Amino acid sequence: MIVKIKRQESQETNSYWQSFEYNGNPDVNVAFVLEYLNYNDDLTDIDGNPARRIVWECGCMQKMCGGCAMLINHTPALACNTFLRDIKGKCLTLEPLSKFPVICDLMTDRSIIEDGLKKARIYLHGNAEIHPSEHGLTYNAAKCLKCGLCLEVCPNYVTGGSFLGACFANSAYLYRTVSGDKAEIEREYRRHFEKSCSKSLSCMSVCPMKIQTLSSMARLNAK
Amino acid sequence: MKKKILIIGSGIAGLSCAVTAAALGNEVQIVSPFPSERAQSVMAAGGISAVPDTNIGNDSVGCHAEDTLRGGCFIANRREVENLCAAAPGIIRWLERLGMVFNRDPEGEIELRAFGGQTYKRTAFAGACTGKQMVTALTGALRKYECSGEVTRRLGLQFHSGLIAGGRCCGALMYDERSRKTEAIYADAVVMATGGQNQLFGKTTGSVLCDGYSQGKLFEQGVHLKNLEFIQYHPTTIETPMKRMLITEGARGEGGRLFYFNGGRKVYFMEDKYGEKGNLMPRDIVSKCIYDVPEQVYLDLTFLGEGIIQGRLKEVYELCREYIGLDITKEYIPVYPSVHFFMGGFSVNSRHRTNVAGLYAAGECASIYHGANRLGGNSLLAAVYGGQVAARSITESEYVRPDENFEEYIREQNKKISSLFSGSSNYPAAYVRREIAQIMNDNLGITRSGDELEHGIKSIDFYLSAAKKIHFDASVSAYQAYSVKPMLLLSKAVLMSAFFRRETRGAHIREDYPKTSDCFKASSLSRYENGSISVSFVKEGDEQ
Repeated sequence: MIVKIKRQESQETNSYWQSFEYNGNPDVNVAFVLEYLNYNDDLTDIDGNPARRIVWECGCMQKMCGGCAMLINHTPALACNTFLRDIKGKCLTLEPLSKFPVICDLMTDRSIIEDGLKKARIYLHGNAEIHPSEHGLTYNAAKCLKCGLCLEVCPNYVTGGSFLGACFANSAYLYRTVSGDKAEIEREYRRHFEKSCSKSLSCMSVCPMKIQTLSSMARLNAK
Repeated sequence: MKKKILIIGSGIAGLSCAVTAAALGNEVQIVSPFPSERAQSVMAAGGISAVPDTNIGNDSVGCHAEDTLRGGCFIANRREVENLCAAAPGIIRWLERLGMVFNRDPEGEIELRAFGGQTYKRTAFAGACTGKQMVTALTGALRKYECSGEVTRRLGLQFHSGLIAGGRCCGALMYDERSRKTEAIYADAVVMATGGQNQLFGKTTGSVLCDGYSQGKLFEQGVHLKNLEFIQYHPTTIETPMKRMLITEGARGEGGRLFYFNGGRKVYFMEDKYGEKGNLMPRDIVSKCIYDVPEQVYLDLTFLGEGIIQGRLKEVYELCREYIGLDITKEYIPVYPSVHFFMGGFSVNSRHRTNVAGLYAAGECASIYHGANRLGGNSLLAAVYGGQVAARSITESEYVRPDENFEEYIREQNKKISSLFSGSSNYPAAYVRREIAQIMNDNLGITRSGDELEHGIKSIDFYLSAAKKIHFDASVSAYQAYSVKPMLLLSKAVLMSAFFRRETRGAHIREDYPKTSDCFKASSLSRYENGSISVSFVKEGDEQ
C-alpha cells in the first residue's frame, strides 16, 4: 500500500507531499501504520530517499483520547479507529486537519476548542443536579474527546469565527443541564451556536463517540 | 498564606490537585504536553470504590481498608489506607457536586458494582468509562478557576527536570518541542501527576504518553522510589495487532465468568478453585491462574443479556466489535493478562510529599496505598484523594522556597539539548525504547526468577553504557532523545527491586522464591546516590 503524507516542518515552512510504502500486516489501523513507519531504523520514502520521521499525535491507540484526529483519504477521522480493511484502493492519503494550525506534519494545535469554552464561560454554574431523564444524554455529551473532527467537517465552522461548532454545543448542553444557574450558558449558546448552524449534521456522522448533537441542540433550543 | 503551586500532569490526580488548591486560594499553574482529554485517566473504565454514606448494609470504611490492605498483601501503611477509605464517601459527593454523571438506581442513588477482592459491592461507576466522565467533570470545574485567573493552564510543555538544590525543590525545568527552548517555572511546591511508567513495557493497556521519564529523571536527581517491582497484570485484555486492550473488571463485576474448554466441556477454573466469588478474586491471583491454564481462557458475558451489556457495559461491547470483530452478546471473549498498572513510583509520605522538600506526587506515579497489588476501583479513588491531600498539605505547609540560583544549571541543560540537534544521526530514540520494552517484558513477566532478572539488569547496563555514546535522532522530538537515559535508569531500578525481593508477594511472583516471607513484609525503597542504585526494605510505619 502507498501511504501519501502531507508534510510540513512547522507553521513557518511550506507543506509538501511524501509517499511511503507499507507492506506490513493488513489487519491494522492507520495509527499502527504510522508507528510502523517511524520504527524503521532508517525511514526512506518510496524512491529510497532518506526521510524525516513522521510527527503525529498518539495517546490511547483505541478511540478514547482523540489525539490522532487527521484527514484520512480526505475524510476527518481518528487514525486509531480507521482500519486498512476499510480503505478503498491501494493508496492511503494522510493530511493534517485543515481548520487548525499545523504544529508539524499531522499534528495540529487544537487549543482553540478549549479557548472557545473558556471565552463563553462554559462550566458548572451553581450546584450540580442532573434530572434522571437527562442521564443518558449528559453521559453521552460528557464523552466528547475535543478531537476537532466535528469542526473539520462542519460547513459553518470557520477558524477564528464566533460560531464554535458541535463540540461547543454539546458542552453547553452538558453544563447547562447540570448547572443550577442556566441563564448565562443559554445566552452563550445562542451567541456562539444557535443562529449559525445550518443543521447539515455532518458533525454527527464523523463523531467517534456518536454524540447526539441534534438532541443537545433540541434541548438547548427548547424555551 | 497563598502558595504558588506548579502541577505537572493534567489527568485526574493533577486536576483534583489543581481544583482543590485553587479553591483554597493558591496560585496554580498546571502544565502538560496535551490537554486533559488526552490523559491516560480517560481510559480508566470500571469505577471508583467508596462505602456510600447512605449505605444501610454491612459494609464499612474499616472493611474497605481491610480489603485494600489484604489485596496489597499487608505492606501498605495501615493508617494511610484507612485515611484513603475514610475520605472516599466524601470524594463521591464532591464529584457529584461537580456534575459527574454516575450510573444511578431507580431511587436516584449512585449505583454500585462488585470489583475484585471486595467483601461487599462498593464501586460507583459511570458505564464503562468512569475515568472519562470524571475527567470531564474535573475539567469543567477547573475551567471556572481558569476563567477567573486563579489557575493558569499551559500546554505543549514536556517535563525536563526538577530545579532541586540541597534537598529542596524550587520548581521545574520544562521543554517546549515547538520552540525548542526550555522554560524554568519556579514555585513554592511542585506536584508530579505524570501517571505510570507504561512505556518501560512498550504497549500496555494504558496510554503511550505515560513513559516513566519523570520518575527516572527525578530518581537521578535524588528522589526516592518505592515498590517498583509490583507491576499489575490485568487478567482480562484482548489481543489486537495494535496493542492489548482492557476489558474492565466491571464486566466480571456484572457477573462475567472465566472459563476454558477441556474437550468441549467448559471449565470454570476460578469458581472451581475459589468458589462463588472466584471470578472476582484480586487481579494478581486471577492473572496467575489464567497464566497457569494450559488452554485459551475466555470471558463469558453472553448470558448477561442485551440490557445489562448495552446499559452498563456498552463501551466493552463497542471495543470488541470494532477491534476484534466480536459480538459479546453472542460470543465469548478470548482474554490474556497484560501489564496494566504500576503499584510502584515516587515514595511519598502521608502528606504526599517526597523525600525532597517542596516536591509532591499523586496518582499512579506515586506509591503509597496499593502495596503489592491494587484492588480495582482504588486507582481513581487514590488519584482524586492524592491530588486533594497534596493541595491541602502544600497550603498548610510552613515551607518557604529558598532563593536558589539555577542559572548555571539551566545554561548547562540548554547546551545539552542544543547538542542533540547538532549531529546528523538517524538513530531513533524509539529504537532504544523498544529494546527497553523487550528486556522488561522478557524478564519481568507474571513470574520472575533471579537468573532472568540478573540477565535483564545486564542488558539494561549495556544500553546505559551505549546510550552515553549514541547520538540520537532528535529531529522529531528532543524529548524522546533526552528521555532515554532516565528511562533506562528507572528500568534498572525496577529490575533490581524485583531481584532483591526474594519472596513471592502480590504481583511479584518469584519462581525461585515461591513463598511469602515475613522478612520482606516491607516496601522496597530505591535510591540513586553517587552514580549507583541501592535497594533497601522499609517496614510499614518506618520513617523514610
